[in-house]
Amino acid sequence: MLLTDEEKKMRAGEYGPGMQRAISLLITLGDSFNAERLVPISYGHISYDFCPEDFWNLMTEEVPPTPHRVTTHPSYQPQLWKEWGLPLADQWIDEHERKLTAFRQLGWLRTETCAEYLIGIMPRKGDIVSMGGSCMQVANNSLFGARVDRMGILVSMAAAVCGRTPLMGLLLPENRYAIHMVELDDLDVTDWTLSDFHCLGYCIGDTIPGFKPVAVHGLPHNLPFDFARALVISMPTSGAVTLAHLVGTTPEAATVEEALGNKKPKHVIRIGKREMIQAWERLNVWDNDIVEHVAFGCPHATIDEIARIAALLDGKTIKTSLLIGASAPVKTLAGQQGYVDSIENAGGHIIPVCPSISNPFTRRDIAGEKQAKSAATNSARGAHYLATVSGIKVFFGTEEACVNAAITGRWKGETLRWK
Amino acid sequence: MEIKAHTVSAGKAEGEAVVYNGPFSFMGDLDPNTGKVPAPRHELEGQSLVNKVFVFTTGKGSSGGDSIAWMAKQKGNVPSAIICMESEPVLSGAVIATEIPAVDYPEKNVLKLIKTGDYIKVDATRGVIEVVGK
Repeated sequence: MLLTDEEKKMRAGEYGPGMQRAISLLITLGDSFNAERLVPISYGHISYDFCPEDFWNLMTEEVPPTPHRVTTHPSYQPQLWKEWGLPLADQWIDEHERKLTAFRQLGWLRTETCAEYLIGIMPRKGDIVSMGGSCMQVANNSLFGARVDRMGILVSMAAAVCGRTPLMGLLLPENRYAIHMVELDDLDVTDWTLSDFHCLGYCIGDTIPGFKPVAVHGLPHNLPFDFARALVISMPTSGAVTLAHLVGTTPEAATVEEALGNKKPKHVIRIGKREMIQAWERLNVWDNDIVEHVAFGCPHATIDEIARIAALLDGKTIKTSLLIGASAPVKTLAGQQGYVDSIENAGGHIIPVCPSISNPFTRRDIAGEKQAKSAATNSARGAHYLATVSGIKVFFGTEEACVNAAITGRWKGETLRWK
Repeated sequence: MEIKAHTVSAGKAEGEAVVYNGPFSFMGDLDPNTGKVPAPRHELEGQSLVNKVFVFTTGKGSSGGDSIAWMAKQKGNVPSAIICMESEPVLSGAVIATEIPAVDYPEKNVLKLIKTGDYIKVDATRGVIEVVGK
């Protein structure tokens, strides 16, 4: 790989051991994908809480505040968990505080969300951004046309430290054309809810082989943002799709030809009612109807989503715990609108955590014996990770079904809409 | 039998093969505390991957996969080597950062040639897979 004089100094350890380790990781990764060089990033996005502390310390040792902007994923809130009486909260406080202090010393922005575009931090078309968080990657690539390659949390730390990323994968314009095409087969999306789009994305991610870009054809043009987002962010849960062109909606896909780069797709995949039912059923992993927890905000909720949930919860009292993941600025707006009162008065919480992978109510290593053994969610991504990471029973359904479950503590089996 | 492959993460290792004709994510498909596959309804549910040569198609899923791989590695709960048809950046970053020897683009279809239980040696630095015992 070609390195600049500055990068050679970084690799030689002239800027300290953290920078040296970080750039070495980027170079080895880049070499394995035949990247010709490293390129500067417009900004970086990391997750300090998801990053193991020993790795964090290795990467940041003697690293000074960076000149480039770095933002962060949803964080843990162990002090709050303690206030809520979650038995193992104490075990998380010290590490979280140490990492948060180190994060601040680097001059990085404590955004604590997986949806920074909702708080005004977003790339322009063509901007190169390094990001941990597959839902961030696919959203920024697909919805805004940023150049974001697939990368892990550890590698995104290395990229954030160095302000560089290997020139590979989806950073290269020729790799951004769709290889696969999804055709919707007799699916009328007119009355679809957010959950239906989550389910479709999960179904597509599961069906598409590999990690190459996909074009989705047959959806209404200018699909509402929340629907487009739900669709694309679900794909890298069941699969590895990191760029999805929604023909007629996303910036690199005004037409099918543009999305495919005037080539024929390698695979054409048809998704119809049968595939949707299978995906919906796969997302539901439960044996009885008792619901102990309800999770929203995977990815972090938009103000419209919060408004709908608040309206359903207004004046009600819930039997389960209920968590909505949302960034602090969006929560502030929701507070101004009175939505936070409706949610909290009903017994729910709205905080900038990840409600799926690190949901404090469902994680045995946080909630201890108070762990919820079942959860309902409107997100396919949420359902997948609640089932696999927390190891609990999961109900997947609409916002309305989930709020109803929170109020009654029971899941009312829904008739699948495609039957 | 020797099969040439492309180096993803350098190093040498060996072990019994676990073959899965599908994609894999360290996040969700591997419990870092046990080294087993926890995914409900997964074909490999309950299968331990510890010290196995894990053969599969490609990576998938959350970018937190490399963090889980790191945690699992600290506890010794990872495959000894990985062979996949085509790696992707999350999986590659995970095995490079955690120093698990790994190769991809094998010259032959290892998903058919290698069976679960076969003894496999992987020299990822040289890019050579050796099927020792059937």
